[in-house]
Amino acid sequence: MARSSGSLSRYLVTRLLLVIPMVWILLTIVFVLMRVAPGDPVQAALGGRLPQSVIEQKRHELGFDKPLIVQYGHYLGGVLTGNFGHATSQNRSVMDIVTHEGAATLELSVAAMFFALILGLGIGVLIGRFRDSPLDVVGRLFGIITYAAPVFWVGILFQLLFVAKLGVLPSSGQADVLQNIDLQNHAHTHIYVLDAIINGNWDDLRNVLVHLILPGLTLGLLVCGVFIRLVRVNVIQTLKHDYIEAARARGIGETRVVLKHAFRNALVPVVTVVGLQAALLLSGAVLTETTFNWPGIGQALILYLNQRDYAAVQGIVTVFALIVVGVSLVIDIVTALIDPRVRYS
Amino acid sequence: MRQARSRAAIALVGTASLVALAACGSSSSGGNKSGGGGNNAGGNTKTIVWGSTDKPVSYDPAGAYDLPSWNVIYNVYQNLLRLDPTTEKNVPDAAQSCDPSADFKTWTCKLKPGLKFSNGDPLTAADVKFSFDRVIKINDPSGPSSLLAKVKTDAPDATTVVFHLASGNALWDYILSTGAGAIVDSKVFPADKKLADNKIVGSGPYELASYQTNQVAQFKPNPNYGGDLKLNNGGLVIQYYQDENALKLDVEQGKVDVVYPGLSPTADTELKGKSGVNVISGPGGAIRYLVFNTKTMPGGSDAQKRAIRRAVAFLIDRESIAKNVYQGTVQPLYTMVAKGLAGSEDVYKTEFGDTPDKSKAQQELQKAGVKTPVNLQIWWTPSHYGALSSDEYTEIKRQLEASGLFKVDLKSTEWEQYTANCLADKCPVYQLGWFPDYPDTDDYVGQFFGSTSFLNDHYSNAQVDSLLKDEEGTRDQAKRVDDFKKIQEITVADAPVIPYWQGSQIAITHGSVSGIQDTLTPDYIFRFWLLGKS
Repeated sequence: MARSSGSLSRYLVTRLLLVIPMVWILLTIVFVLMRVAPGDPVQAALGGRLPQSVIEQKRHELGFDKPLIVQYGHYLGGVLTGNFGHATSQNRSVMDIVTHEGAATLELSVAAMFFALILGLGIGVLIGRFRDSPLDVVGRLFGIITYAAPVFWVGILFQLLFVAKLGVLPSSGQADVLQNIDLQNHAHTHIYVLDAIINGNWDDLRNVLVHLILPGLTLGLLVCGVFIRLVRVNVIQTLKHDYIEAARARGIGETRVVLKHAFRNALVPVVTVVGLQAALLLSGAVLTETTFNWPGIGQALILYLNQRDYAAVQGIVTVFALIVVGVSLVIDIVTALIDPRVRYS
Repeated sequence: MRQARSRAAIALVGTASLVALAACGSSSSGGNKSGGGGNNAGGNTKTIVWGSTDKPVSYDPAGAYDLPSWNVIYNVYQNLLRLDPTTEKNVPDAAQSCDPSADFKTWTCKLKPGLKFSNGDPLTAADVKFSFDRVIKINDPSGPSSLLAKVKTDAPDATTVVFHLASGNALWDYILSTGAGAIVDSKVFPADKKLADNKIVGSGPYELASYQTNQVAQFKPNPNYGGDLKLNNGGLVIQYYQDENALKLDVEQGKVDVVYPGLSPTADTELKGKSGVNVISGPGGAIRYLVFNTKTMPGGSDAQKRAIRRAVAFLIDRESIAKNVYQGTVQPLYTMVAKGLAGSEDVYKTEFGDTPDKSKAQQELQKAGVKTPVNLQIWWTPSHYGALSSDEYTEIKRQLEASGLFKVDLKSTEWEQYTANCLADKCPVYQLGWFPDYPDTDDYVGQFFGSTSFLNDHYSNAQVDSLLKDEEGTRDQAKRVDDFKKIQEITVADAPVIPYWQGSQIAITHGSVSGIQDTLTPDYIFRFWLLGKS
């Protein structure tokens, strides 16, 4: 017991310390990439008919007239204090963008992961159990197609089917217009599902959940293909183990053998992959949000890219990078908690 | 074991409950909450939901010279004068009168007493002076400062405003009624920079009640509105969309009451047959044209540059653009003055014909010693002028390259960057569109051909400047029409700009929305207060 907790502590400390150089490298890459892009961010965002003196003043206000190393220092210092910059094209701080639009993306991502896990794990277990059957073939094909299909194309198809043809789901947005305004005016977390629950407004909650279905399912399908194949392989591997034979020999039913013994052990690598899929979710969210007019950070990124608002783009990309690092850290810790082999290795 | 099963059961039940909750409830459609306050006509208090793929630049009048922004500005702020939609003449708004001196160089306006902004601050002449001064001082690249060039504003007392113009302008009252003349609260708006959109305050019939950047803006009747407009609704919500497909689906479903401006021609046509959907068209003075930066465009001399412009003018096939790109929803245009306005003449048809003529284009280039094919970089912008801009410029490229005389390199960027680049000598040839600021021919010729034209295309003609000064300085319509014709005839030979289509206005409604036809007027002012819903 003492040895186990000591190795876990050591692992956690090591893992936390590794975050520092990882974050530093990521931040440096973001800074360099934004600076090597041709053009001056201020000129790009505000140039044109503004007198050069005003342009120079704005460059000075934003620190772009300082040496690169000084700008780098300011950038790192800003990140450490939670200041990710200001959108030049609109009078908004990046933190404000991340708070409002980031909450919408978080809501979408959680819904997508929910659908991805339900479908991915469910189908993966099924086809792993019935390996090489027609069900297995269909399941694997489904996984490949959902992974390969462009997310915006899937979204448009869903809109055609569920909105245009069947008329059972809304086409876009986080909520209907007036519910949207109501939730904005009574916002606590800016995550509409939570805010509706906190406000005790069940109409708003129903409305928000209905709006989550199509975009969540669209984005979730992108990710579930990976889970299907991973769970299938792990279930097949696990079912070959001796303890599975022993369980069968003891007369335990096949369903219980698969779900209670094989599936649980097959889940361990899936936890790791969930963390890796966070990055895929964020990139998929950009196109999903555009298709469904979802007011998330992905859609905001497109808007600021089109407006050449480098300051906002840099801030948002920095936040993306930090989110991926954070999620990876959490997943590594969870994996260490559930699989002792990780912390001993 | 038992605990694990219980936990799993609880999780399953919880998830099922959430899903059941979602499935049982149907999303309620918007637009039926009652509003209040303001000058409500007939007690119609329903909220109108307006869907748009437009991207407004700013709700601050100092930072906006685009239709999506002005659509809001006209409804939140007052001007000294406003355009009556029926007569298209200026009538009092915040001012009870605005009178010019004999030479039209001085205009004196008297404010109505007792006006207030939506936050209760009194509206005085000082606020009017402040509003005009800050537009000029801020000089935002996306703003309307070009409309107020060289004007000096005085406020000798609390209800009197005096404008001193550098040269006589008989149309100054029209400019007062545009978005450039919107009156802002000097206690709220900064003098030297734009105000954030969510903080705007005006004295118009509506106030901004809530705002989510790039997503949704809610407008409620202004309880402190002191004007005489009667509101036919209890408020309006603008839902902004990034993608027209989602908007099209929402208007079909009735989630959106009004779509303005319309969607792409394909989508508009598809919606015509749908139950509950009405596609309404109105007169339009919107034009589309190609601009040549006479400084940076290809050509080793002024003569060669002129020859290149004329060659392009000989090759543009307007019928093909109207038919193949816009499916007949726009009309070929052969003048920079929209058809229907006084003095409009098809000068480009007279000069260059109405079908492409490769031999004449070739002669122009040979005469000037221009080597072919000419490498021509043409810029366009993807979303500001609608989703078909891409097809439009692909077609123009095809037309020019089919002659063998040009090799076209198409470039594009989004609107804010586009204006910053193209109005600063970075685009040799570029796309622009025009919605009228006010329904007078001067708004077309003055803006495009004057030496101080916002186009910054470096085109200048002293005779044209003189004619512009002449027509602006008189209210003799016959004389003005004569001036307009001469301006068109002089400038067509140099072709610094090439017009190619004129479009009408389209609005789409779902259900019984009234008042749309009343606001689809040539001035392109979308008047919220006229819209009603039963």
